[in-house]
Amino acid sequence: MILLDRVTKIYSGDSKPALDNVSLHIEPNEFVFLVGKSGAGKSTLMKMITKEENPSSGKIIVGGIDLDYVKRRHIPHYRRRLGVVFQDFKLLPRRTVYENVAFALEIAGLRSYDIKKTVPKILDLVGLSDQAKKFPAQLSGGQKQRTAIARSVARQPKILIADEPTANLDKATSKEIIDLLQRINDFGTTILVTTHNENIVNNLQKRVITLKDGLIVSDQKNHGIYKLDGEPETVYSNAPKAPGFRRSAPEPAEPPAKKQKRKLIM
Amino acid sequence: MRKNPERKITKKHLKTLTKNSGAHKLRNSSRIVKYGAINFARNIWLSAAASLIMTVTLLILFITVIASVILSQTADAMRDKIDITIYFKPGLSEETLAELSAVMSEDKNVKSLETASSEEEYTRFLKENSDNIELINTLDDPDMRKIMLSTMNSTMQLKVYDIDNLDSIKNTVAANELFIKNVDKNKEATYDEHRSEIETITSWANIAKNGGIVLGIVFLGISILVIFNTIRMAIFSRREEIYMMKLVGADRTFIKGPFLVEAQLSGVLSGTIAATLGYFGFRFLEPKLTNYGIDVSTIMNILESNKLVLVYLVMILAGMVIGTVSANLAVHKYLRKQTH
Repeated sequence: MILLDRVTKIYSGDSKPALDNVSLHIEPNEFVFLVGKSGAGKSTLMKMITKEENPSSGKIIVGGIDLDYVKRRHIPHYRRRLGVVFQDFKLLPRRTVYENVAFALEIAGLRSYDIKKTVPKILDLVGLSDQAKKFPAQLSGGQKQRTAIARSVARQPKILIADEPTANLDKATSKEIIDLLQRINDFGTTILVTTHNENIVNNLQKRVITLKDGLIVSDQKNHGIYKLDGEPETVYSNAPKAPGFRRSAPEPAEPPAKKQKRKLIM
Repeated sequence: MRKNPERKITKKHLKTLTKNSGAHKLRNSSRIVKYGAINFARNIWLSAAASLIMTVTLLILFITVIASVILSQTADAMRDKIDITIYFKPGLSEETLAELSAVMSEDKNVKSLETASSEEEYTRFLKENSDNIELINTLDDPDMRKIMLSTMNSTMQLKVYDIDNLDSIKNTVAANELFIKNVDKNKEATYDEHRSEIETITSWANIAKNGGIVLGIVFLGISILVIFNTIRMAIFSRREEIYMMKLVGADRTFIKGPFLVEAQLSGVLSGTIAATLGYFGFRFLEPKLTNYGIDVSTIMNILESNKLVLVYLVMILAGMVIGTVSANLAVHKYLRKQTH
């Protein structure tokens, strides 16, 4: 679903690469944590998946799309296939919760009738049905993040990427948000979450990819343990070529349990 | 050479992604208009400021155009009234006058030409002084009439196309043998009699025309700059929002569109206000201008007829054009700075 092949990113003016020859492969329906300290390269990787940044070298394929061939005019269309959640929510401040979610559908050109039918269901899914008419300023942090998640899943994307979605939230709310992401994952959406919250990562027992100084230093499938200050358990070699490149992905060591294929919104 | 399979798959995906139906485009357009209107209402103070500046600009343009029309009309009317009179010796025959007319008619600057014999000049003189009974009674005497006729010049009255370029006419009068023979040497032709009046009116008309154009351009420039900056401020205050819109997949049209609609709405509002103020202002000033002898009938005819709708439409259109140009510049400049 997401494939990085020997991706390096060097920002202009920097001598050290933000990402150094990184290769990884995320299967469809996987729930993956991308962990690491600040400056490890997590955000750079996310930005390259959303095509905010281009790699200095290497190849990125997302949902069958080779980002090398995605021209500037294609970018909005490409981004509509992704769900993106941010640490600072990035909601439209002048629009209500309902309008924020509807916006994602409007830009995709959906009919008003369909939007009116879909948005309440999404808000129900994230537990915000009673907050629909409120503006972001009137919401708590958790509610804002739920709105952002609702907006990101409104178009039912196959991939949802969340950049530190719990960074600004307390422990209980963080758990709620992760539970919500897990529910979305249960519906068949591939989820990539960056975080440096040990508890969340360790409680969920999902695949954990650890980045350090632009290198993947660990990739633990299905039972990942992350210690913020400790050394990773297994050092993952920065393989010269990502497994699964050219659509010949090997089976993961422990294949994820078959997901229940349901529609997010019926 | 083996074709790159990723490229093929990507192209297929992108083709499906970017396929937009007509209905889709129509829906997007109506949403852009809706969001433009919502933004206009939600940012009412910024919208009001932009509209006010645009109203002032449009009003200045309105006044400039009207002043220019009135002054150039007055100048044209004055020019039309001015004619050149050439005086011939008294008692010239009709045939001689016809010959002189034929010679003068060849000049391309001559618009129209009229000759009067001494007899006709005398009749005109009597007509002009018909109120003066004493004079009429005196002239009634046959001897007196004879004396008058012998002193009354035959004349040629000319209207010309270009009052500033009389050289060829002057040359004909001074050099043509027929003219030399018949012109009354004691009475100069009235070439320069109205010179100062003509020059004053001409210079005012030119000032109004050229000044109006310059002033119009200057104010248009100022207006575009101010609105450009107002919209840039609006964009700057919403830069996070724009960034976010991009990240969730909004294309340029969807980001740019509402700003353009917002500016166009300002244009519609300003055009309407400026046309209304202009109309009532002119109606208020009309009696005063007429008292000064300024002919404002053409403008009043336009404003009092159903052409007033046209005036409103032109003003609204001008407002929309100013708004669109400024907003387009501001948004384009901002979006160009952003890489993706």
